Amino acid sequence: MVTKGINELKPGVVVTADVVSKDGRVLLACGGKVEPWHINLFKGLGVVSVEAGESQDDARLKDASDYVRDYFVFVNPDFPVVTELYAFATEFVIHRLAEGWTLPSFSERRAENVEHLSDAFPMETASPNDIVGHEVQLSSFPDVYFKLRKEIDSPTGSVQSLSEIITRDVSLTAKILKLANSPLYALPEPVESIPRAISIIGTSELSTLALGVSAINYFKGIPPELIDMATFWRHSVSCAIFAHILAKAMGEKNTERFFIAGLLHDVGRLILFKDMPYASSEMLLHARENSLPIVIAEETLFNFTHTSISEALLTQWDFPPQIAILVNSHHNPLAAPSPREASIVHLADFFANVVGVVAGGMYALPPLEEGAWELTSLPVTSVRRICSDYESQAEQMFKAFF
Amino acid sequence: MNTPLTSSLLLRRCAALTDEEFAQFRDFIYAKCGIWVDEKRKYLIQNRFEGRLATLGMKSFSDYIKLLQYDTNRDKELPYVFELVTTNETSFFRDQKQLDAFSQHILVPTLSEQRNKNKLELNIWSAGCSSGEEPYTLAILLHEKLGPEIRKWRINITGCDLSLPMIAKARAGIYPEYSFKTTPEALMKKYFTPVDSGYKISPAVTGIVNFQQLNLNDAPAVKRIPKSHVVFCRNVIIYFDAAMKKKAITAFYDNLLPGGSMLLGHSETIHGVSMAFTPKFYPGSVVYLKS
Repeated sequence: MVTKGINELKPGVVVTADVVSKDGRVLLACGGKVEPWHINLFKGLGVVSVEAGESQDDARLKDASDYVRDYFVFVNPDFPVVTELYAFATEFVIHRLAEGWTLPSFSERRAENVEHLSDAFPMETASPNDIVGHEVQLSSFPDVYFKLRKEIDSPTGSVQSLSEIITRDVSLTAKILKLANSPLYALPEPVESIPRAISIIGTSELSTLALGVSAINYFKGIPPELIDMATFWRHSVSCAIFAHILAKAMGEKNTERFFIAGLLHDVGRLILFKDMPYASSEMLLHARENSLPIVIAEETLFNFTHTSISEALLTQWDFPPQIAILVNSHHNPLAAPSPREASIVHLADFFANVVGVVAGGMYALPPLEEGAWELTSLPVTSVRRICSDYESQAEQMFKAFF
Repeated sequence: MNTPLTSSLLLRRCAALTDEEFAQFRDFIYAKCGIWVDEKRKYLIQNRFEGRLATLGMKSFSDYIKLLQYDTNRDKELPYVFELVTTNETSFFRDQKQLDAFSQHILVPTLSEQRNKNKLELNIWSAGCSSGEEPYTLAILLHEKLGPEIRKWRINITGCDLSLPMIAKARAGIYPEYSFKTTPEALMKKYFTPVDSGYKISPAVTGIVNFQQLNLNDAPAVKRIPKSHVVFCRNVIIYFDAAMKKKAITAFYDNLLPGGSMLLGHSETIHGVSMAFTPKFYPGSVVYLKS
């Protein structure tokens, strides 16, 4: 039951106490439904407020905002970008509730039992380099990646040889063509071949895309108890989309690198899950039980985070440094050599996590560097536009990957 | 451009915690229990305590800090502080590999050593036992290992936690289904009885376990814990800064009997904290020996 001021009273609300005028007349008895004319009558007779049952809208707003609030425990509740995103996520949840979604219960949001999984070696003594060293010995990176890498660096590299490498990999070709025809480029005409894609999008831009996309195939065999891979890649693609939207809004050139950095920003986490599954599950439980963002739980339990792993990994793979740096500094953008660029992936990760809340995410949002937003020079009002741009692109972009 | 529905939504529900208040509060918590609240957790602390401030009808954190420092009832408020800075839940038979290593390489040899010495006694200290799952798990392990012979033994498992509500929960010994997600079904049936609010631990198990509230920063209280053959301290020292970690690990060392062993949480390390222990590596677990 709530007290509603006369100005916020809407038709359809059921009153839970008699509405009485100043001279004691009952204007609407308890249990009656407010009709539009009641409101005028009440105002005319000086009724200031009425006791009303919680409307479905009120109840949904409360449920949704409480649910979303649980994820915003680690961020400044007064920072305008944060409050905008809080309102956005709440609206999104209200929308989903109206569609029949039910909020996950607390126990549904807990991690699974993984007692059967073992770490590759004792986490107590493992350094990021040890873990990555073990990992790269174990599995080889997709062949096509190294061929592309070599071709890109070669002075004799040509559109034709690049096309040949890509087209020999059927799945890579399909993904690249889907991306070329996606909102990433919003081209007026459909692109149906790799040489055509190269000629329209550009050799270096397409190489960046191909390198990043080919890398994804490496990450297989991650224990499903730790993370649902579809959710993982959905978050990664979301981060890629946001990074691209932000980069464009900020007038950056060659925005593919932000897209690819967004796509790969959490690969260090996959290596941890794969090689240190038990330690990772303890870390995830610690995060859940203490309402911590995963990156903070990593720091607390491991003394390093997944970005130290990606740093070692991407170095081993000779990944283009300008992209590797964006991946590795996404939790610490202001310390990166180019803070403005690093801030793009940092913010994109945060936005993508907000979107993830609505999809039933399990962990608190990561810390947000407020200085990163200042570096974008974007007004706070653009937060909503960025989110709606994302919404208009997301489904089509997901189709390019899944 | 918010829709009218969310336009009045506020994320913050109580007065903001200023940097100065945060520093005061952090130092207060540290002085009381050795838990170090990093700057990054400022908003988390604000979030966790806003409900408490509302219950007390307080408008600012300054008022709350004043209460903690000067109010005549200040000691009664401390348990709430402790509860809110250390939320930790666990389950029975958590980290099976550690329990296997403990059982096979520590427990079995220690039991036969004690038998040889004709000293049928064993002390285990579970430091940071939360709501009791760990000490009860160890008690069940001992029942399983010793069978009816357990009646001849003097076994004492001391479960300690900073949080008084956690100790109360441990003493009550009733757990929801979730606490058993890592418990073999046969053991659950053998040692627990279903009750209205969950599952209650059998009196045979509770008989060898004692609980007490303990602040690891309180040296005299720590010294009163009976000398142990084994210390379990999982996911506790992660809350401490280097100085307090050292203090705690030294306390465990001093508490252990010669040849005793210490077990920490998975992936926790005492590297750079203490050289006094000898680490022994077993599959999926490390045991620190007092040599």
